[in-house]
Amino acid sequence: MTFSMLTRNNPTLVIAACALSAALGACGSSAPSQQLVDARRAYNDAAASSAARYTPDDLLTARQALEKAEKAHDDDARSEDEVHLAYLAARKAQIAKAKGEIAEARKAEEQAKAMYQAQLERAATESQSNLAKAANELESEREARTEAELQKQQADRRAAAALQGLREVVEIQQDQRGTVITLTGGLLFGSGKSEVSPNARVRLDQLGDVLAQQPVDKPIQVVGHTDDTGSESTNERLSEKRAQAVADQLIARGIDSERITVEGRGEAEPIASNDTAEGRATNRRVEIILGTAGEAPGMTGEMPPAQRPGMGSSPGTMPQMDEPASGSPAAPDDRSNPQQPPMPGD
Amino acid sequence: MTTFARIAFPLGLLLIAACASSEAPAKQLAESEAAVRAAKEVGADRDPQGALYLKMARDRMEKAEALSRDGEDEQAKRLLEQAEADAELAVALAREREAEGGASQAAQQLESLQQ
Repeated sequence: MTFSMLTRNNPTLVIAACALSAALGACGSSAPSQQLVDARRAYNDAAASSAARYTPDDLLTARQALEKAEKAHDDDARSEDEVHLAYLAARKAQIAKAKGEIAEARKAEEQAKAMYQAQLERAATESQSNLAKAANELESEREARTEAELQKQQADRRAAAALQGLREVVEIQQDQRGTVITLTGGLLFGSGKSEVSPNARVRLDQLGDVLAQQPVDKPIQVVGHTDDTGSESTNERLSEKRAQAVADQLIARGIDSERITVEGRGEAEPIASNDTAEGRATNRRVEIILGTAGEAPGMTGEMPPAQRPGMGSSPGTMPQMDEPASGSPAAPDDRSNPQQPPMPGD
Repeated sequence: MTTFARIAFPLGLLLIAACASSEAPAKQLAESEAAVRAAKEVGADRDPQGALYLKMARDRMEKAEALSRDGEDEQAKRLLEQAEADAELAVALAREREAEGGASQAAQQLESLQQ
């Protein structure tokens, strides 16, 4: 019996009254079941949640379910239909709300991940541009260094070329002392004289210009020599005066006097026989020794007078030296001047 | 008796229409069972709220079975429908918990980078 099924959960009186009211079409004002109250609240919750924004379809389904329950209530208040449909409507509303929350959470996750990725990329780009900047700095530094090296090489080549051009007018040799430029006295001085002749002055100026082009850290040693005419002590002084005259000329041409040391060796180191006028003219000479960089010239080629056979040492005639290093005698076995011919007998 | 007939007639019509659409609860039983299975698969058991609604679904299915044995197919079918709705909610709640976990993890990751 259908009626007994209906009355299982509801008082017969209420059902009867409601059925009567339904038949008369005026049941809407009856109190709703607890399930319908719950369903309405659940739907209002869902409608106020992120479901409205993210899952409107699910919210619509929930609304339709609630409307069915409401209709069941209107048709037959507190009927089993109403209770059942309200129960389903409440679940639909809860599901819609949960789905809205899911969509919102996933969107938040996506955004956080995108921001995370963007920050990682920004950091990577930053460190990359820092690297590029550092590499650029290194490169420009390297270029500047290369440029400086090129300029130095060009200066060295110019200096070497200038020296080469000088070979045509003076004798230039390389030995352990460095570059030795020999100015023969025939051109520079008369016998017994220490003044530089006007002709020689032109040549010395040329030489001064070349020396001025050489690297400034190369020291210049000017060493005077004489033939054997006259006494040894006179010749020592004369050779020193000649060296000084040449040095003065170079200084006048713009060479820094600090770079220059002057020395007179008298007749002790002839390079030709003093027996002929030609040989004596050759021995009357001034050597300009361009030392290697950072090293005092003459250190290796110097011969202490005491070592010479048949010659008395006279410390008083040692050339005055500004630098003690260049004035100290070299080791006795360091006799390396290849130009040294056998000593003449007299 | 004429009064009773006047009341019962429209009601009877209504209920007959409802009964006609319910045939047997077998189909609904299958659907409810599928929903419960799905809830277990997404781990509704491990979520407190999900577990609550999953239990409600199971209880209703048991009750429906008893009603069905007693021939109360209409009541059984309603309970099965409610059980399906319970299980579906359990699924949604379990998924919500999972999505929120993912979101807070991503937020933490982002925060750790910003420090």
